[in-house]
Amino acid sequence: MHTRWFQVRIRYSATVAGLAASALVLAACGGDDEDEYGSGGAEAPGSLSFYTDKAAWEPQFLQVSDVSENALGLTLDFTGYSEADQYSAFIRQSFRTDEKPDLFTWHTGSELEDLVAEGLVAPTTDIWQQSIDEGNVPGDLREHFTIDGEQYCVPMNAAYWVMYYNTKVFAEHDIKEPTTWDELVAAADKLVAAGQTPFYETNILFSFVWFQTLLAGTDPELYAALSSGEASYTDAGVVDVMNRWREMHEKGYFGDPGDQTEPQVQLKNGTVAMINFGTFLSGQLNSVDMVSGTDYDFFIIPKVNPDLEQTPLIFETGPICTAEEAQNRDLALQYASWWMTEEAQTTWANARGDVSFNPKALINDEQLASLNQEAGTDGYQLLERYFEATPTPVLTAALDEFSAFVTNPGDPMPHLETIQAEAEAYWSDQG
Amino acid sequence: MTGTSVAPRERGASYQWSARAFGLPAVLVVAVLLYLPFVWTSVISFTEYNGLGSPEWVGLANYREMFDDPNFLTSLRNTLLWVVGTITIPVGLGLLIAVMTYDMRFGVWFRLPFLITYAVSPVAVGVVWSFVLQNGGGLSQVLEAFGLPGAENRWLLDEPMNTLVMIGAWAWQQTGVNALLFVIGLQSIPKEPLEAAKMDGAAGWRLFRHMLWPMLRPLTTVVVGLALVASLKTFDIVMAMTEGGPGRSSETLALTMYREAFVNSAYGMGSAVALFLSVVTFIAAITYLRRQLSPRHEW
Repeated sequence: MHTRWFQVRIRYSATVAGLAASALVLAACGGDDEDEYGSGGAEAPGSLSFYTDKAAWEPQFLQVSDVSENALGLTLDFTGYSEADQYSAFIRQSFRTDEKPDLFTWHTGSELEDLVAEGLVAPTTDIWQQSIDEGNVPGDLREHFTIDGEQYCVPMNAAYWVMYYNTKVFAEHDIKEPTTWDELVAAADKLVAAGQTPFYETNILFSFVWFQTLLAGTDPELYAALSSGEASYTDAGVVDVMNRWREMHEKGYFGDPGDQTEPQVQLKNGTVAMINFGTFLSGQLNSVDMVSGTDYDFFIIPKVNPDLEQTPLIFETGPICTAEEAQNRDLALQYASWWMTEEAQTTWANARGDVSFNPKALINDEQLASLNQEAGTDGYQLLERYFEATPTPVLTAALDEFSAFVTNPGDPMPHLETIQAEAEAYWSDQG
Repeated sequence: MTGTSVAPRERGASYQWSARAFGLPAVLVVAVLLYLPFVWTSVISFTEYNGLGSPEWVGLANYREMFDDPNFLTSLRNTLLWVVGTITIPVGLGLLIAVMTYDMRFGVWFRLPFLITYAVSPVAVGVVWSFVLQNGGGLSQVLEAFGLPGAENRWLLDEPMNTLVMIGAWAWQQTGVNALLFVIGLQSIPKEPLEAAKMDGAAGWRLFRHMLWPMLRPLTTVVVGLALVASLKTFDIVMAMTEGGPGRSSETLALTMYREAFVNSAYGMGSAVALFLSVVTFIAAITYLRRQLSPRHEW
């Protein structure tokens, strides 16, 4: 009797154990329907789940969140990733779950097109029209958020790419802010002759910066055509730009591309005299106790080709998007609309120490404030940063090739041919 | 046995069901966590897939493209350098340190410094060594201070030097643990045959070649086997030191896989590289272990 009981008991226990394990696995695979706002998402209706790969910007996002709590009754439930690739994979995977993000930062260009093609992002056409009508955003910006006639996402930030310089180094060598390309070259020559490295350059990630500056400053139409696949990386105009870049290397204009010291530290220490960088460098320079207008300043990079009517000015912007099937989709869109207002942008730009896309935002930093105004005048042609303007597979190949080129400047053709091969593969896939 | 008895056939069947039920959780865990991802990765490798929507079947296109890509071949070359470098340097040095110190008084104090580095994570090793090896970094400064040649070398920028110095950094970390494993092996060798050999006049190289080396064989097989697999999947230290660059000059197969899948969101191509790497690792490990553990194998 005991044996029989024991057998039944074992069989029962084993079955329960098996079912429990199966349930555990299934629970892990499935969504959690009972948690209305999601475990990683918002805690209450007044809180929106917000994901970004800019983990270091958490304090600034939370400053805006404090303001939005008063203005809208909505706050951001912040989740930051510090690794961009991990973040991209996470967001892509999240669309396959029940926890789609209310708000998330992303990239314009092909990355956004990928999401829109699958119907994953909520359109923002009405928000854009209203913001343009109210003067909260320049109409020119709209095209970068437009896919097949509809707008998606709103701009998270704006930055212009300018030339930062160490004011003490400039004063020491009696150099004034250059207003033409020839003056910039003369300043670089003067610095090299004095044993001072003129320009910062890196072979990690931002290896494209000088290619962007030289090509946009020489032939902005070719720059735009390259981004849209209408021109080839092996065109004579591109080859000429690469050769000019090589000559600049040969003249000793650039610092060590393998130096992993942060750019703000290199400028502070005088390792380099100038850094071609986005205006978000202001915040980084302030963080190493450099004072805007006293220890550092910047100027708009003069056009390389003096015959151009306008001076090309590189700008970058990254979007904040809402998932079409997000739990708090409508509230998130309300937040996106508010994000573009003067109130939000004044808080955001000053928290970040950067410019804003909203011309009405009150920027505390005088240099940045005047740049914000000047950039909107007729003398400048705004061109999207190479990083966003170039489709991802082409960009990845280009960053590698530019990295190799700045490390060992030589014949540019093998590098350009490699990028062009990737570009042809990409554009042929696009039909 | 009292009360109602159970027929042997019936009892056997119920035991079988119980056994199956007990085995079910383990089978499920293995199936869901190990087999399923492998099968799914294999399927995805024959598709074009950006992580959104549905994968599009492209047959062998990813594999053809992979083998046509010169960067993939560079990656393959670098991975082979890692295999050869890892087996010769950290394993070889570990063996040398173990043999020289295993029966030495206070030998542990000689081995300890080598072992401390094992406590450091490969990423931290990469970060520290990239400070040492960057242009004008610690190594160049030391060479310059002593007037030695090489101060101008761009250790992490020029290929294949960048891969070779990274293997050096890896050896710095791994040698100690290999030495420890070899010491365990050496200390487990029976004393009697060694004493007998010594009385017969064997010492130094002869003692090592004819006594220690053959008796260490089981452990050497394990150490080399582990090093072989670890080197084929080299990722973290390269990611921390060069990210596979400049260009793609120091990329390994694991970095190529990461780059395709997570940087380019080309999950099909990333899976193809992953499958290739898995198959190569599997074949290398099985071939090596079969050969080493075969009873007919002679040294």
